[in-house]
Amino acid sequence: MTTPSHNNRIWITIDGRSLQVPPDITIREAAALAGVEIPTICYHDALTPNAVCRICVVEWRGARTLVPACVARVADNAIIQTNSRRVRTARRTLLEMLASAVDLSQAPEIQAMMQEYDADPDRFGPEARRRETGGVKDDNPFYVRDYDKCILCWRCVQVCAEDVQHTFALGFNHRGFDTEIATFFNLGMKETTCVFCGNCVGVCPTGALKGKRLYELELRGDS
Amino acid sequence: MSYRPILTARIGKVDPTSLDDYVAHGGFQALKRALALGPDAIIDIVTQANVLGRGGAAFPAGIKWKAVSTEPGPKYVVANADESEPGTFKDRIIMEGDPFSLVEGVIIASYAVGAHQAYIYIRGEYPLAITRVQNAVDACYQAGMLGERILDRRYPLDIEVRRGAGAYICGEETALFESIEGKRGFPRIKPPFPTQVGLFGRPTLINNVETLINALPLVQHGPDWFRTMGPLDSPGPKLYCLSGRIRRPGLVEAPMGTTLYDLIYNYGGGVTGSGELGGVLLGGAAGTFVTADDLDVFMDFGSLREIDAALGSGVVIVFDTSVDMKAVLRRIARFFAHESCGKCYPCQLGTQRQLEIIERLAADRLRPGDLQLLSEVGQTMTDASICGLGQTAHSAIRTALKRFDFDPSTGHFARFGPPSGVQEALA
Amino acid sequence: MKDATHTLTPQQLAAVETVLARYQGKGRSALLPCLHEVQAITGWLDPEICAAIGQSLRVPLVQIHEVIEFYTLFYNRPVGRRIIRVCDDVPCYLAGSEAIIRACATRLRVDEGGGTTEDGAWTLEIHPCLGRCEQAPFLMIDDEGYGHVTPEQIADLLGGKP
Ligand SMILES: Cc1cc2nc3c(=O)[nH]c(=O)nc-3n(C[C@H](O)[C@H](O)[C@H](O)COP(=O)(O)O)c2cc1C
Ligand code: SF4
Repeated sequence: MTTPSHNNRIWITIDGRSLQVPPDITIREAAALAGVEIPTICYHDALTPNAVCRICVVEWRGARTLVPACVARVADNAIIQTNSRRVRTARRTLLEMLASAVDLSQAPEIQAMMQEYDADPDRFGPEARRRETGGVKDDNPFYVRDYDKCILCWRCVQVCAEDVQHTFALGFNHRGFDTEIATFFNLGMKETTCVFCGNCVGVCPTGALKGKRLYELELRGDS
Repeated sequence: MSYRPILTARIGKVDPTSLDDYVAHGGFQALKRALALGPDAIIDIVTQANVLGRGGAAFPAGIKWKAVSTEPGPKYVVANADESEPGTFKDRIIMEGDPFSLVEGVIIASYAVGAHQAYIYIRGEYPLAITRVQNAVDACYQAGMLGERILDRRYPLDIEVRRGAGAYICGEETALFESIEGKRGFPRIKPPFPTQVGLFGRPTLINNVETLINALPLVQHGPDWFRTMGPLDSPGPKLYCLSGRIRRPGLVEAPMGTTLYDLIYNYGGGVTGSGELGGVLLGGAAGTFVTADDLDVFMDFGSLREIDAALGSGVVIVFDTSVDMKAVLRRIARFFAHESCGKCYPCQLGTQRQLEIIERLAADRLRPGDLQLLSEVGQTMTDASICGLGQTAHSAIRTALKRFDFDPSTGHFARFGPPSGVQEALA
Repeated sequence: MKDATHTLTPQQLAAVETVLARYQGKGRSALLPCLHEVQAITGWLDPEICAAIGQSLRVPLVQIHEVIEFYTLFYNRPVGRRIIRVCDDVPCYLAGSEAIIRACATRLRVDEGGGTTEDGAWTLEIHPCLGRCEQAPFLMIDDEGYGHVTPEQIADLLGGKP
C-alpha cells in the first residue's frame, strides 16, 4: 500500500474545469474541490456509503451508465459532467418516483431538490401506488415510527448494526417496491434487542423516526 | 446442420447418477489432461480460445481465470447455476442429464486458479438438478477424487452445493455471494470486482455452468479447435433455449453464430399458432425483441450487439402474429417488479411505475404523456441502477415499442393480434 | 401471533433439534441451508423456531427475519401442507398458463392471484419462470414437476376433493 501524497495527484475535468486532485478520492469529494456540490439523499458522513438513492449519479465520458459520485473514485483524465441533461433527467425522474410513493412533507431538503429539478410527481397519476405501512407505530416511550415517510435510505439499519451500535434490532421486510424497515417478526421495539440509544432517530432524514416528545407536540399543534 | 453436439453429447446416453458410467463415457479425461498441462497452460488455453461468459454478460473467461490465479489465497470458485432468466433452461438440462461434467468443470477451474474451496449455487426450484449434482459431488468424495486429492493428484479441494431460495437477483454474481454468506440478495457496488473482492471478501472466480463445461472439450482439443466454431470474436459451441410458439421447443446445441432462421425453422421446426412469425424475444425478460426482418442475424454476442439486440443466456422465445403482445409485456413488467431486490431507487421505484404504465397499456387505458413517462422511467433505470437487473428491466419493453409498430393513437401493435378493424368491431 | 411450535409433533421437534445440533455455531453463512432443512420439517418458520435457529447459528434474529422475507421459498406464516406453483411467465403464458391457473383456483376455491385453502391443505402460487419452458405450461407440486399440463389434468393433480 502506498499512501497518497501530493506528488501523485491526477488530472480530472469536472463540468469543463480541469484540476489536479489526489487519487483515490470519490467524485463527490473531487467535485467539492472544484466548488461543485453534488446532491445526495442516502449519503451520511459517518456511515458506510451504499449508493442506494442514486441522486448523486454523474456522467463520466465513455462509461456505459451514469456513475454514483458518493462511491465511484476518480481516475486520471476522467471527464465528468455533474449536471448534464442525462443526469438531470435521471435525478428528476428519481425524485418524481420517490415523491409519488412516499410522504415527503417533513423532508425539506428533498423538497428543495424537487424544486431545483422541476420534479412533478403527479405525472404518475392518482393510481400510482404509494408506500402504505398502516400508520404510525407508537410502541415505546422514546420514539415513534411512521414508515409512510420512509425513503429506505438504510441509515437507521446501518447505525443499529455494524456502522455504530451492533444492536441488530432493525432489518427489512419483503423486497422491491414493497421493502419496509422491520423488526424480528414485526415485534414492538420493546420486544426487540433495541437499547433505545436514539441513533436511528438522529440519522433519519424524513421524520419517519421521531422522538416521542416532538411527535406529541406536533399532534397537539395539529389538533 | 452437420454439427455434432459436444457439450450435450452425453445427455440421454450416460446414467447421470453413476460415476462409473460417466467415466465409461469419457468422463474425467479432461481433468486428467488438465492436471498434465498445469494451471498456467490451462489458463493460456482458455484465454486463447476467447471463451466469452455464457451467463449473459459475455465477459472473457480467460481474463477472469488469469486475474484470480494471480491473487493470494484463500480464494474461491463459484459455479453460477441460479438460472432464473425467463426462457432459460440450459443449465438445468446439463445438471440433470450430465451432472458430473459440471463437477469436472468446477474441479478444472479450481485447480487452474488455485482455489481449494468451490461452491455450486443452484436455484431452489431445481430439486432434481440439486439432487443430481449433490450426488455427483458425493460420489467423487467417495471415490477419493475430492477432498484431499483431485483424481489422483494431491490437491485439497472441497465442493459445496448450495440451494437458492427463490430470488432471480441471486443470479447476479455479487448478490449470489451475499446469499452464500447468509444474507439478503443485495448486489454489491462494483468495483471492487469479484476477482479481487468476492465471496467472503476474497478473490473469487464465478462462472456460468455452460462456461465451465466448455473447459472440458477445450483442454482436450485446444483453442484452435474451439475457434473453428463460430466467429473469432465469440467462438465455440452454444446452447440455445427454444420456447414459445415453435414446433419443437427445447435445448439446441449449435455453433455460436448460427442464424436465427436456422434455429427457428431448421432446429425448431417452424412457427406454430398462426404460423406467421410476429417476433422473437432474445435473451429472456432482460433481453430484446427482434422481428422477422432480423431472421438472418448470426446468434453470437457481437453480431447481435450490432443490431441493438443481445444474446444474453441464449434464450429464443418465438411469437406468432396472433399473440397478445400487450399481455406479454405485462408479464415482463410484472416479473421485474416482483424480482427487484429494492436496494436502489431507480429499480425499486421504477419497476413498479413501469408495471403501472404497462398495465394501463394492456387495459387500453394509456394516458397522454404515458409513453414519454415510460421512456424516462426506463432510461433512468437503465442509466442509474446499481446492477444489471434494473439496467435491463426496460430493454424488452423498449425494443417491443420500437420494433413492433406500436401505434399510440390506437394503443395497438400493428404486427400482433387480429387486424385492428376486427378488434374495434369486437369492442 | 400464531405459535406453530405447539402444533409440531414430538417427532418433528426431535428432527428440528437434530438439525440445529448439526448447525451449532456454524455462523451466518449456514443460514440458508439451515432454513431449508428446518422448513422441510416444519412447513414454515415461526418466531420460536427462528429464535432457536438464531441461537444455534449465532445470528441476530432480525437477520433471520429479513432473509426469510427476501426469499420466496421461505415462509414466516402458515402455508398449505402442499404447495402448487404455477408458472405464468412468457413461454408458459404462450402455452396457456392462464387456463391452468383458472383451473387450479376454481378447484381449490382460492384467488387466481394465489392463496391457501381454508382447510390448509393447499397453497396456490403464481411463480416466476420455473425454467421448464420447453415443457410449457409447467407447474410444480412441492418438489415434483409437471410439464405440458392441461386444465383437465388439474383435478387429478389436486386430488379427489372438489
Ligand atoms: C439480475 C441478474 C441475474 C443473473 N442471473 C444469472 C444466472 O442465473 N446465471 C448466470 O450464470 N449468470 C447470471 N447473471 C450474470 C452474472 O452476474 C455473472 O455475469 C455470471 O455469473 C458470470 O459468469 P460467466 O462469465 O461465465 O457468464 C445474472 C446477472 C444479473 C444482473
Ligand atoms: S438494480 Fe434493482 S435489483 Fe439491482 S440493486 Fe438496484 S434495486 Fe436491486
